[in-house]
Amino acid sequence: MSAATGVVVVGNGMAGSRFVTELRARDTATPVTVFGAETQRPYNRVLLSNVLAGVTRPDHISLVDAAWYAAHGVDARLGVEVTRVDRAAKTVHASDGTAVPYGTLVLATGSTAFIPPMPGLRDGLPEGALVFRTLDDCRRITELAASARRAVVVGGGLLGIEAARGLAGRGLDVTVLHLAGHLMERQLDPAAGRVLARTLAALGIGTRLQADVTALRTAGGAVTGVELARPGGGTEVVGADLVILSCGVRPEVALAREAGLAIGRAVVVDDELRSVTDPSVRAIGECAEHRDEVYGLVAPAWEQAGVLAGLLAGTDPAARFTGARQITRLKAAGIELASMGETHFGDDDEDVEVVRFTDAARGTYKKAVIREGRLIGAILLGETSAAGTLTRLYDRAGPLPAERLGLLFPGMGRAGAAGEPAESPVRMPDAATVCQCNNVSKGEIRACWQAGARTAAGVARATRAGTGCGGCRDTVEGILAWLDGQDSADVA
Amino acid sequence: MGADSRQGKRLVVAGHGPAAHRLVEALRERDAAGAWTVTVIGEEPRAAYDRVALTTHLEGADLAYPAHGGGVAVRLGERVTGIDRAARAVTTSAGRRVAYDALVLATGSAPFVPPVPGADLPGVFVYRTIDDLDAIREYARGRGTGAVVGGGLLGLEAARALQGLGLRSAVVEVAPWLMPRQLDEGGGAMLRRHIEGLGIAVRTGVPIRALEAGDDGAVRRIVLDGGEPVEAEVAVFSAGIRPRDELARGCGLPVGERGGIVVDETCRTADPAVWAIGECALVGGTVYGLVGPCFSMAEVVADRLLSDASTAVFEGADMSTKLKLMGVDVASFGDPLAGSGPGALGVTYTDPVAGVYKRLVVSDDAQTLLGGVLVGDAESYGTLRAHVGGSLPGAPEQMLFGGTEEAGGDLPGSTVICSCNNVTAEGIRRAISEHSLTDVPGVKECTRAGTSCGSCVPLVKRILDAELTAAGIEVGKAICEHFDYSRAELFDIIRAGEVTSFTRLVEEHGTGRGCDICRPAVASILASLGNGHILEGEQAALQDTNDHFLANLQKNGTYSVVPRVPGGEITPDKLIVIGEVARDFGLYTKITGGQRIDLFGARVEQLPEIWRRLVDAGFESGHAYGKALRTVKSCVGSTWCRYGVQDSAAMAIRLELRYRGLRAPHKLKSAVSGCARECAEAQSKDFGVIATENGWNLYLAGNGGMRPRHADLFATDLTGDELIRCIDRFLMFYIRTADRLQRTASWLESLDGGLDYLREVIVDDRLGICADLDAAMERHVASYSDEWRDTLDDPGRLRRFVSFVNAPRTPDPSIGFAVERDQIKPLPLEVKR
Repeated sequence: MSAATGVVVVGNGMAGSRFVTELRARDTATPVTVFGAETQRPYNRVLLSNVLAGVTRPDHISLVDAAWYAAHGVDARLGVEVTRVDRAAKTVHASDGTAVPYGTLVLATGSTAFIPPMPGLRDGLPEGALVFRTLDDCRRITELAASARRAVVVGGGLLGIEAARGLAGRGLDVTVLHLAGHLMERQLDPAAGRVLARTLAALGIGTRLQADVTALRTAGGAVTGVELARPGGGTEVVGADLVILSCGVRPEVALAREAGLAIGRAVVVDDELRSVTDPSVRAIGECAEHRDEVYGLVAPAWEQAGVLAGLLAGTDPAARFTGARQITRLKAAGIELASMGETHFGDDDEDVEVVRFTDAARGTYKKAVIREGRLIGAILLGETSAAGTLTRLYDRAGPLPAERLGLLFPGMGRAGAAGEPAESPVRMPDAATVCQCNNVSKGEIRACWQAGARTAAGVARATRAGTGCGGCRDTVEGILAWLDGQDSADVA
Repeated sequence: MGADSRQGKRLVVAGHGPAAHRLVEALRERDAAGAWTVTVIGEEPRAAYDRVALTTHLEGADLAYPAHGGGVAVRLGERVTGIDRAARAVTTSAGRRVAYDALVLATGSAPFVPPVPGADLPGVFVYRTIDDLDAIREYARGRGTGAVVGGGLLGLEAARALQGLGLRSAVVEVAPWLMPRQLDEGGGAMLRRHIEGLGIAVRTGVPIRALEAGDDGAVRRIVLDGGEPVEAEVAVFSAGIRPRDELARGCGLPVGERGGIVVDETCRTADPAVWAIGECALVGGTVYGLVGPCFSMAEVVADRLLSDASTAVFEGADMSTKLKLMGVDVASFGDPLAGSGPGALGVTYTDPVAGVYKRLVVSDDAQTLLGGVLVGDAESYGTLRAHVGGSLPGAPEQMLFGGTEEAGGDLPGSTVICSCNNVTAEGIRRAISEHSLTDVPGVKECTRAGTSCGSCVPLVKRILDAELTAAGIEVGKAICEHFDYSRAELFDIIRAGEVTSFTRLVEEHGTGRGCDICRPAVASILASLGNGHILEGEQAALQDTNDHFLANLQKNGTYSVVPRVPGGEITPDKLIVIGEVARDFGLYTKITGGQRIDLFGARVEQLPEIWRRLVDAGFESGHAYGKALRTVKSCVGSTWCRYGVQDSAAMAIRLELRYRGLRAPHKLKSAVSGCARECAEAQSKDFGVIATENGWNLYLAGNGGMRPRHADLFATDLTGDELIRCIDRFLMFYIRTADRLQRTASWLESLDGGLDYLREVIVDDRLGICADLDAAMERHVASYSDEWRDTLDDPGRLRRFVSFVNAPRTPDPSIGFAVERDQIKPLPLEVKR
């Protein structure tokens, strides 16, 4: 009975669309239905800030095109929301009135932008105030930015800073209001936050910390400013004709909750991404909570998608998701930033070794946190040439060079003084992960090259390397150039 | 009134410290006509000496400056007691009256002793003169604890000196961090890590309330405004200086509000016939406590005395300092405290485990270098200091971590290289070309650069090298500034010349008093050549901390004890003894990777007691503390093992007993495996042996550690005797030719011709030295005796573990332990409350 074995995917974002393509790559038979609330085909949400900044065109961030669904026998319902899950009947009900039975239900509903409860927002966002989550948001912001002059971004997290940079690049006067004591407090320590604020200032972006936003001021239904509580009482207003609310996201779990699935911060799943309540329901991406962790980055979501596809297709019944290390890279012109792991340790913390370099004037901050000879966290700000090396060391818990300086400054220090840069493909082991988002190793790229791929685009088609945040594209090209150079020797 | 024309003019100098000495020398040098006759009246019983190097007096260094030539009357042990300005004469403590045409006050300063109760107790000292140090040394004998009040440069030196006298030492600083005048908070914190790592307790941010006496009426402890008191049977004040300006006050010359004789930029007081130089002078509102400015003042006054047309003025001074403090490089230059708030612009690098802190302070526009602090690694000091006030020539990280090569040849001529003697790069270059100088001592003699604090000597050497290279002259690879020889060459000199002491070596073949590079290197060479017990006489002072107490210093200032267990073979009875010792002394025990047992947590005064028990049970030193053979690890071998083809345990024991105690440039490890399964991991050792059906295969120059290296197969199927001959020669050749702290792995890699060359040398005897190498090893084997047994048998050496003699059962209160997994673990020194 085909209905009982069919897979229904709710959500067609980064996780859902990836899962569908992963599943089809392994299993062409099982019926697959995918619901997507957004009408356009799935796109790479990570690159939205590039679109906002004007460096990437919206049509260049698509993930799956319409023809693909037809060619692969996937029933794609774009612009159709799932309104209810009937677990007893193993059926989903959709906004278009249809009901689709499932053998396995995959929840990939992602998350929604969190809008803080405050006066002025009860009846929805006023004109000129937006969140920054979807391609539609992005288009709308771009439109408004054309006529706006003063923008305020509420929230100095990763996304808020990317949005601020994008708006500043469009000539707006931008201020970031941030509740915490320093920017990106989840990824950065206070010193790095200070250097980042300085870097933003140099790009024309103001920063207000410990900014307690109490309300949006409006006139005639349009936003005119943001009201802040003064520390000693009273309020002040920061004028703005464009306000981006970037106050974090909340996992979208309304469907799951209604269906009676166990929810923590998100849908609680085991190592097989299976709801702990109902074995025929799986959840991946930002709506899944695995071992107390809700991942907001694309790499873990894509890893989950791959694991689940292998499980459901039966091609890899032993596949498990056991957690992922979190590596954050900020994408904004003029700001180089990579952060990973536990970054908040200081010199006086016991059992950890903190190596740190600060050059506030040039906006450089580098920090490596080491415990028991392994890298457990790092921040690179302003100058990220060491990011590849640190990411690998962190990801693989690899042994570190004795001279720590080389961690922060590849090729520096006594060990590497005469040697080649640490990023050199020659020194990179085959097992080294080059593309973190898609978990592609140097060995796979090499194999790809041996199979005939000669360009980064060719490698991306075969391995997906470089299609997530795009941060590894230079490395991929470096490896290809090196392989081309090795040509004669390697073939022999 | 003109002076007596026959006698010339009369100069009287009150005081005979470094400033006075420099004044007289400068005057004599330039006063060819003999216009001045000079009388120096100095209160100390000895002539001027190098006060900067005061601490080395305890190691037996001779600090005396060269005596003045003719025309100078030096009256020592006599003090100027009054000045009759009207009559132009001084009166002295000897009741004499000496007339002058010019009087120079160079009375220096006195240590400041804060007015706290108990500051006058017996056992309380200051740290200023040779007499002070002699008194401290005498008083410290037989006592157990010492503390220094004041965590400045001198205070830290004093704390180290107390430790060297066998005391458990502590430093108390009222400011929130150490060396507050030179370092910023981060630098002070990093320095503290170093100091504590040496076993010296540090308390900062606490004013002292009083010094308390013990039952004997002498000082016993220092009570602080908060926290536990600091135990101190010897207390030393090093809490700053006060200018000795009482003579000026007595004759109505103006003095500063906080002391110091007011002088103008020519160092002249309100009375044109009276001058003041050095630490007693207040020039431009500042009292200078560094030797460099004091010398500059002396030069200015000499110039002025010799010519009415002189335009020499004292223009203030660069207060940059670089010093080696207890083996730690510490430097500060420019204005290191400029804008030290958290938001200040600066470049900072910290690596606490490596003990490195570096900070550059730059102007708001990031264009101008204002100053900086370097702790733990001050290699770039010279370059950086040269750029203070200008722009950085490269990226800050290049300057901090890699920017030493460009300095030297490229330094602008006006850059001051030696701030003590105010010598510029141009001055050095000119001297090199004019006098055809080819070595550092020549430059020092000619220009005086590097003759005071010595911190600029590396930079001087780089300038010299650059000049020589430019002139097409080959540049040598000397071990340090004190010897123009490499370690290998020094080894030959010591061996050929049968030199047995550092003092003789440096007198005959080097310059100066040595440094932290050459002293331990020479100590190791002397020990390699079998020059008796390493704590014998002068040798004791050359050793690293670990060798000092024949034990390994651990985190909280306690030591670990490792008896030798040759080949890892041990009888149940001996195991029981180790167990009993560990239990009785409450030591943490751990099996080491080298198949022996490490006992942690011993206080220094317990070491002799512990070793007495161990030695009585037949144990001997395992040299875990030394740059020497550690262990020869082995598998159980053919005796027990079904796979073994040779008796590896017996061979390991034979090797370990042969090479035990052999001092080398670095530690040596070895292993013997009984078959090709290689259970003893011999290929990761400096010399590893693997049994074959026909004998033994020898692997050389392997290395675990930070950069592992597989040993190279050197020879196969050797008999036992052949094996030992190869190893004998390998080790001796390594000891003779390796650089300081170079392990066999990197030695072999740097050896021209590598493994093949090594075979030619020690198998084919290409250099004709094999007989010599064999004989050297035979001498080592024949002269071996256990260092700990010898120490226990010698009351003189035992005195080093001094608190054992005096207070055998008093545990040091600053050492704390916690319990973890049923054993003790160390608490950091400051955690105890």
